[in-house]
Amino acid sequence: MRFLRIILGLKEWSNRKQTMQQGAQAPSGQDFLAPDLQTNEQVLRSQYANCADVVFRDIAIAGSTKALLLYIEGLSNTVEIDQSVLAMLMEKGLVSSDVKTLLQQKVAVSNIKEVTTFTETIQHVSVGNPILLIDGQNRGLALGLSKWEKRSIEEPTAEAVIRGPREGFTESIGVNTSLLRRKIRSPKLKMQSMTVGTYTQTRIMIAYIEGLADDTVLQEVMNRLERIDIDGVLESGYIEEMIEDYPFSPFPQILNTERPDVAASGLLEGRVVILVDGTPFALVAPVTLYSMLQSAEDYYQRFLIGSTIRWLRYLFFLIALLMPSIYVAILTFHQEMIPTTLLLSIAKSREEIPFPALVEAILMEVSFEALREAGVRLPKQVGAAVSIVGALVIGEAATSAGLVSAPMVMVVALTGIASFTIPRYATGIAIRMIRFPVMFLAGTLGLLGIMLGLIVIIIHLCTIRSFGVPYLSPMGPMKARDMKDVLLRAPWWSLNTRPHLIGDNNPYRQSRGNKPDSNKGSE
Amino acid sequence: MKGLLAGQGFRYVLLCFVAAASLPLAGCWNRTEVNDLALVTGAAIDLAEGKMIELSVQVFIPRTGGGQQAMGGGGGGGGGGAGGGAQTLVRSGRGATIAEAMSKLQEKFPRKLFWGHTDVFIIGESLAKQGIRDQVDFLMRFPQTRERAAMFVSEGEAKKTLGFHPPLERSSAEVLREMSKSRLSMDVDLKKLAQMLSGGAGAAALPWVEMLPPEKGQMTKQSIPYVYGVGVFKKDRLVGQLDDIMTRGVLWVRDEIVKETVITITPQGTEGYVSFNLESSTTNVVPEIRDNKWSVTINIETNENLIQNATRLDVMSMKVNDSLERQLEEEIRHRVEEACSHAKEMGTDIFDFADDFHRKYPKQWNSVKAHWEDKFASLEINVATRVKIRRPGSTTSTGANRPQDEVEKP
Repeated sequence: MRFLRIILGLKEWSNRKQTMQQGAQAPSGQDFLAPDLQTNEQVLRSQYANCADVVFRDIAIAGSTKALLLYIEGLSNTVEIDQSVLAMLMEKGLVSSDVKTLLQQKVAVSNIKEVTTFTETIQHVSVGNPILLIDGQNRGLALGLSKWEKRSIEEPTAEAVIRGPREGFTESIGVNTSLLRRKIRSPKLKMQSMTVGTYTQTRIMIAYIEGLADDTVLQEVMNRLERIDIDGVLESGYIEEMIEDYPFSPFPQILNTERPDVAASGLLEGRVVILVDGTPFALVAPVTLYSMLQSAEDYYQRFLIGSTIRWLRYLFFLIALLMPSIYVAILTFHQEMIPTTLLLSIAKSREEIPFPALVEAILMEVSFEALREAGVRLPKQVGAAVSIVGALVIGEAATSAGLVSAPMVMVVALTGIASFTIPRYATGIAIRMIRFPVMFLAGTLGLLGIMLGLIVIIIHLCTIRSFGVPYLSPMGPMKARDMKDVLLRAPWWSLNTRPHLIGDNNPYRQSRGNKPDSNKGSE
Repeated sequence: MKGLLAGQGFRYVLLCFVAAASLPLAGCWNRTEVNDLALVTGAAIDLAEGKMIELSVQVFIPRTGGGQQAMGGGGGGGGGGAGGGAQTLVRSGRGATIAEAMSKLQEKFPRKLFWGHTDVFIIGESLAKQGIRDQVDFLMRFPQTRERAAMFVSEGEAKKTLGFHPPLERSSAEVLREMSKSRLSMDVDLKKLAQMLSGGAGAAALPWVEMLPPEKGQMTKQSIPYVYGVGVFKKDRLVGQLDDIMTRGVLWVRDEIVKETVITITPQGTEGYVSFNLESSTTNVVPEIRDNKWSVTINIETNENLIQNATRLDVMSMKVNDSLERQLEEEIRHRVEEACSHAKEMGTDIFDFADDFHRKYPKQWNSVKAHWEDKFASLEINVATRVKIRRPGSTTSTGANRPQDEVEKP
């Protein structure tokens, strides 16, 4: 117990919290901007001491009033600053009247905000909005001219589809919200902003549709997010681990997606989407095991195709989990269960193998996992070489060297393929992880062991919840109405209701009688 | 919340320990690698001198993979090619019972004998004559043997049938199993045999195995065992056998006749032959007791396809068709009656009429149960056949290989 606590760093939490907080953020004490430009400049310069990328530009408005323009190089649109701000304000013959009217008339920037404190000033500078401080004013102006280099919208590589939109989220949260907004144009789509990370000041957006999302779920999401106290958030994975229900479960309880359409469909079902700046992966919650086994494409292909592929995926989900275990169990405990001819040919190919079936299976599975990992990690140019070597090592050389039998190679290959049919990478990994203990059970207790393992897994799955929604729903607890999207992918005209426990606020998605019928005529 | 999290983690760790602790308890006590098994493909049970039981097993040799698998370089380039090394070996052990013989036999094997894939049991003629009940008891009792293994009785010594290396199949046991599956003779598995032995009819029948001598120029070891008719058991003793044609009659009564059975007749008024192929057949046995007179009626309804016409008859004519159907009915009835009378002669109710009576007349059955054999001998058996010729084959012209003017017009 104590050991675990130390490992997880749960000890002396409160002490650490205070030290961590120190000096991460801007000034304390007297926060308000002074009416005197020189004081303000001094404070800001001391804040940004040794920050070579921060530009302080002294200007004189209309040749007389002193002012300071402050921005970070590379985060602001300098062309715009030059043309719309500097050129206008420095124009000769400008009558320096009241600053407010001057700005109204002369500064051609659409998004301007007033700032009154140093904290606000620094926040704006950090996100790229140039700050204009004018002498004699105890307030500054944040000009919405942020612009930085970003990746263009590209096809999401981790969730490829044959049919479906090809745009994916990017690292920039502004682009991501716009992608969502372009899918759901209703003002009911709400986005609440929040900043997490003492140093990184990462913006996160909680998107939901008012009237669809469950208020308690939304509240719970907000509460958990607000509770986060961390120095930095570099990826939504940080957030996921900080807010999930069962941190020790191998199964992910929050779905991550790179696809705006998946996020939007989650929103339409009443789920909450969390966008995190700096990563293309958005989080969707609450989710169930079945949403982890669904691909976006299920809903874009015609429903017969969608249903068939879904069934195939369920089958391969089981294969990915159990195939090597069943092979090992049957081969070492239940030889009478194999058809005679198959057993004879297995016996032939196993004759030269020095290892027991369990060792053989683990050897192969581990090397397959290593190959998979190497393939992901290696640069693309080397990747091809790895796959060739992998195919040779696993497929050809291992068998001819007499280390593993040919049927085992097949089992491992099929299992590998099967685990890739799971559309969510994290779920695929979870299944691969669980496979190993089940394999041990199979190698020691046979089919009995597999059944024990399955029972443990199912009990665990029945226990966990994602933001209050049972992980196995609608199977456990059973909700017959929702089977239309689990056992099948029902045609769109009959997907009438939102999932139970998630979209209960407004259960109906569409009117009845959407089924097409050539006899309906035009009414 | 934080404490709770840690508590849960602790519970998982505890669970792992408990689970790990249970492993040595339950242990891998019956874990066996395939490499440590000797797979028994078939077994023969014979009577040896001194009332001993000789158990012979045919064991699969996994090493000589004659091109079965691309084993690569693994182990000396894989056997000696097709027809080279033997894929099976036969060894025997003796004992007072099969169980004892089995343990003696195990001493001669470095690997553990594995009976889970024994598809075939062959009982030697001499043992069959002495009675098989006690041996079947073991086969049913021993947990590893399959109740669906096919049972045979062989001419002479059963061990011989296992020693051959058939050119087509992997082993001679496999040959017998395939033949049994094709159901040209009776298909009796261990469970069925046990049922027959404990049934009211007091009779059993097992497929009869003989040796097919090798073709000229072939090695003698390449001959194969094949199934020819059935051996008939009274109680549990072999009393006689029925030949192939007679066996068909039995199959017809037992409703076990299968497709592809060919019947050839010589139509009246011709010298040639016409052959038919069985399309489908149903048999219905109706037992009847009237005025204390016991009788059964065997209703056979058969559909046949014409497959060869070696006569000058116009088989497309309905008249010819009808007369052929009548002659077929006669032929089938003849075969069935012959089988019945033969069975009566031997005093063995291999058709299991006993069961039919038992089911329909349970009270009357009880009174004859003890002397059913006598009752069977005096049983009146009526055979009613109905044959329909469904198709004349792929050619519809009256004479496929004959000029039109040579075809007899009715």
